[in-house]
Amino acid sequence: MNPQIAGVEDLVGTYVFDLRTSHRALKLNRFLWSMIQATSREGFVADEDAFMTAAGLSEAEKTLLRARDWLGLIQHGASFFVLEKFARVAKKTNLEIYAIMRGETFDEFMATRRVPECR
Amino acid sequence: MARIIGGIGTSHVPTIGVAYDKGKQSDPAWAPLFDGYKPVAAWLAKQKPDVLVFFYNDHATSFFFDLYPTFALGIGERFEVADEGAGKRPLPPLKGHLELGIHIAESLVNDEFDIATFQDKAIDHGCAAPLPLLWPHEPDWPGAIVPLAINVLQYPLPTAARCYKLGQAVRRAVLSYPEDLKVVIVGTGGLSHQIHGERAGFNNEEWDREFLDLFVRDPARLARLTHADYVRLGGAESVEQIMWLAMRGALEGPIRTLHQTYYLATTTAMTVALYEPESIPASQPAASVEAVL
Repeated sequence: MNPQIAGVEDLVGTYVFDLRTSHRALKLNRFLWSMIQATSREGFVADEDAFMTAAGLSEAEKTLLRARDWLGLIQHGASFFVLEKFARVAKKTNLEIYAIMRGETFDEFMATRRVPECR
Repeated sequence: MARIIGGIGTSHVPTIGVAYDKGKQSDPAWAPLFDGYKPVAAWLAKQKPDVLVFFYNDHATSFFFDLYPTFALGIGERFEVADEGAGKRPLPPLKGHLELGIHIAESLVNDEFDIATFQDKAIDHGCAAPLPLLWPHEPDWPGAIVPLAINVLQYPLPTAARCYKLGQAVRRAVLSYPEDLKVVIVGTGGLSHQIHGERAGFNNEEWDREFLDLFVRDPARLARLTHADYVRLGGAESVEQIMWLAMRGALEGPIRTLHQTYYLATTTAMTVALYEPESIPASQPAASVEAVL
């Protein structure tokens, strides 16, 4: 146990991205990371399933991606910082994804923000 | 000899870059943020530093988790601005200071701070989101950067205390550079925010204020906090504020605040602050500390 993160497990709705998670979900995160390349974006859009298969993803991972299950992907081990690269391809803004992860509609979420027009 | 004339703490929220590129500087929802950078940009225009040393983090853009460095210093005369999934931004490549970068790398390693180095890698929003708000870029940037990436993504992260010590080592490196350069140290990130999981959207303004206060008065206390403390107090991704501590270490000793803007609009408490070491005469009255709430 890394003493620097002792206690984080008590914070509900927080998922530590450590080497265990990173190792387990390396292929998924590499797939998400690849979306910084225009050729990968084009390849994914042209044939999602073929692209995911070529990336070596498991059926569970493909299902999460097909469903655009943002919270499920985080819980499975995705790093948000590569997930947001995939979100650009999926045409979702970060604010929309925050709302989904919280289990709220976009309008509900924005109503909790101090300057909802700041987007 | 090179001199450190000041320090800047700034958020690096990617949306700042998007809003900048879309020309939202006068949009009422964005103006408090952009206006908050103007006094810092004016100070930079007047002081004309040759180099900004940037403590930033790469968001798994140029480095992937198959080889993710704890500390990595950029060596080169230019760095492209990264495509992070939405295409290239309309910014010229960043200028690097090759010789100062090499000198800092040599000094750090000989000082037993065994960093990695990188070349020919793009720089992402960790540096490129705030930079155009600080420096003009038309026709080109007025100076060079030395980028130093810190792992704040994949645990184990360097401790807050280690980041502070990195800053102290960078200070020794800069002050031992033979050429008479004016250097400003930039620490990026924060303040409070969480952007993953059901706890996304978490903020803690009271803690942000305390952080900004302790940052000036008692950084050793901030350096003693664990990552879990930062995650609990400011949200998971606010742990990146340890990069501000690297900047604080490079300023060393008492500092004065010349400017501070705090703007919590949606999910990240966007902040910019300008500091000067007390050891040099004040370049302007410390009068523009403001809080936009």
